[in-house]
Amino acid sequence: MAVKGVSFNVDSGQVLGLLGPNGSGKSTLMKIIVGILRPDAGSILVQGVNVAEDPITVKRMVGFVPESPRLYEFLTGIEYLDFVADVHGLEASVKQERITEFLRALDLEGRENELIHGYSQGMKQKLAIIAGLLHRPQILVLDEPLNALDPRSARIVKDLIHKLRDDGVPTIFSTHVLEIADAICDRIVIMYDGKVLEEGTSEELRAKGGTSGSTLEEVFLKLTGTSDTREIVEALTR
Amino acid sequence: MRIKTVYKLAVVLTRSQIRGTQRSKTLARIFGEPRFIIAVDLALLIGLGFSGYLLLSKGPPFLREAIVGMEASALAGVPVAIASAVILFGVLYEISQPIQSLSTDIVNWLPISPTEYVAGSTLSESYIYSFMLSLLLGVLLGPALIFGMGQVWLAAALMATIALAIGSCVVEVLDAITNRISSSFYKKSGRSGMFFRLALTIVMLVFVQLLFSGQIIGYLLQSVIQTVEIAWFIPVVWPSVAVLGVSHGNILTFLEFALLSALFTLVLFEVAANFRARFWVPVPVAIRLSTQTYHAPRLRLHVPWIGIGESAILRKDMRSLTRRREMARFLAIPFVLAVSLGLSFFPLGGESMSDAPGLLAIIPLYLLPIAIFVGLLSMTSIGQEGYAVWNLYAAPINPSKLLRAKMLFAIILGLLFGVGMLAVFSFLLRPLATYFWVILALGLAVVFEESAIGICFGARFPDFREIVRSRYVGVWGSLLGMSVGIISAMLTAFPIIISVIRYHSIIPQLVSLSFIFAFAVFVVASKLANSQIKVLLQNIRT
Repeated sequence: MAVKGVSFNVDSGQVLGLLGPNGSGKSTLMKIIVGILRPDAGSILVQGVNVAEDPITVKRMVGFVPESPRLYEFLTGIEYLDFVADVHGLEASVKQERITEFLRALDLEGRENELIHGYSQGMKQKLAIIAGLLHRPQILVLDEPLNALDPRSARIVKDLIHKLRDDGVPTIFSTHVLEIADAICDRIVIMYDGKVLEEGTSEELRAKGGTSGSTLEEVFLKLTGTSDTREIVEALTR
Repeated sequence: MRIKTVYKLAVVLTRSQIRGTQRSKTLARIFGEPRFIIAVDLALLIGLGFSGYLLLSKGPPFLREAIVGMEASALAGVPVAIASAVILFGVLYEISQPIQSLSTDIVNWLPISPTEYVAGSTLSESYIYSFMLSLLLGVLLGPALIFGMGQVWLAAALMATIALAIGSCVVEVLDAITNRISSSFYKKSGRSGMFFRLALTIVMLVFVQLLFSGQIIGYLLQSVIQTVEIAWFIPVVWPSVAVLGVSHGNILTFLEFALLSALFTLVLFEVAANFRARFWVPVPVAIRLSTQTYHAPRLRLHVPWIGIGESAILRKDMRSLTRRREMARFLAIPFVLAVSLGLSFFPLGGESMSDAPGLLAIIPLYLLPIAIFVGLLSMTSIGQEGYAVWNLYAAPINPSKLLRAKMLFAIILGLLFGVGMLAVFSFLLRPLATYFWVILALGLAVVFEESAIGICFGARFPDFREIVRSRYVGVWGSLLGMSVGIISAMLTAFPIIISVIRYHSIIPQLVSLSFIFAFAVFVVASKLANSQIKVLLQNIRT
């Protein structure tokens, strides 16, 4: 079982950070939230809609960016976005405006008619982010969205998340970079071995970790039982 | 060159290719070990040789009489056949690699020199295709011993091994060149380049199909032997000329052409290593398909029950079919079937289909290709989404929408194929107007029912893995789906067949029965397919 006994709320206009080491169940949890994996037990409500009972309605509301997204490599960037806009049922004038806007904002203008196969990892990530935001989702689920992005695009995405938060859009955001979680997230959930270890603001977590004045990284390492890294480093450099 | 590195690399490349293409884990484990490959090859060689010897020595004399005089020519044909087959299969392997796997060759990042890489890769190719060598030499061993041609057989074995290396080196050279040329070509030509690649791949696949048809093999073998005797200036046939030298008792010719063959192999190896050094890492190229500014298209199909979402999936699948080189084999199916049917029709000698029994012969010949083509297209339409299938899982697409889009994809192509094939039939066989319309309606009915049956099995047994020669549907799924599809198509035609056999004409009531059956199959299969897609969309499988 990848995830068990997980329970938390994300309020409107809140960015919730999911932290945890590799294999802790973050991506599985996100797939369950967006309705592409069905939980064996329990329920998830998105804007009051039960994901298991009405996944289509939930998918209309959610904007999802998976970790290392695999795109249709035989399509051009513009064809891919057009496809996503169509399956979300966007009107032609709306998709024209939004696609053009996003392409310009994320520096993909001029490359949109090339096959995705020739895109760099960062360009593919940008395309997946645009696809996730194209239908103006009511909730965002972003699995490591800043992976492979150049500093400018990463900044744009971070600002976009802040802007959507101000507009009241709740966001679930997973990352390995604790500084980013500290800077972006209002609340943080630390997961380990499929369970929630701790939950709270970064200040609360620092206090719970009993290491006042320490960094979020130290709290994270302490909570996940991986703080004793000195021996590992020594063994690796021996 | 480090021999140990070359050997280790050859083992890794062999395992990678065998495990990438072989779905049975046990077979993949066995044939992923070069030691076992060699053991199996030896067993095959000895087993076939021993059986052939027993059959000819203890069997009826007419067997020996039937092949007497052919042994020398057959042995001389082995090296050139081996080289051609290795080149052909090697190129086909390259074609069937999914586009994603081309730039992720981990070996490129390891401290291995181009020469070592080419040596390892050539050795790996030789391991993989060595079964052909054992097969041909094994079959010819018995007759060689019976007719006292042991020396010629030994020469053929030696030269066929060299030919195997020649074929492997040629594949290496072609691989490096095509990586380079295709990159530059696609970059410059865009859409027309992709169309050219598709057409070329289809032509090649049809060529392979022709190559393995009985009539053509006989003709080619004859040509090869004639070519071997006159075309000494073509290096690929030098190993065969050397074998002919031994069979004619001319040892000097053997030595001369054996040496030339070995030198040619070395030259090819050197060229391949140089190419590899020059075009080391295949870089994914940016292929621009258009220079136009984006204007949101209004491409909704004005067909009942087909909305914007279904049209979008359909457009994507059509692009997938024409742009992914690993999908070209599906587009080649109609051409391959047309060629096979054409070959079957030759013996008919252009007889007119103006009588009822003529219709009886045509119905299965018309319906089977349609059932196979539409069945394959629909069965693979789910699995061909590959690892990008999460896009469909995350999108607000309900099962019936996906079913309609996928069915429409198979139906459109099936209808085009059905109508096209009937046009050819009509041209060749000049059927009566009544028969023409009955066959056309029957074909259309089969297109609809096969599209639903195929998706039902494709959604139940999808295979989303992006590997070499991806099947897109599990082995059992494809076997069951194809069997159910063909049986259903034949049952649909059954009342009409009865009508022809029993009444020697078309009875409207029996024709109606055919279409009622087809409609019932279509409805039931569509409902089953819908529920299978519903189950599939609950849990992502990649």
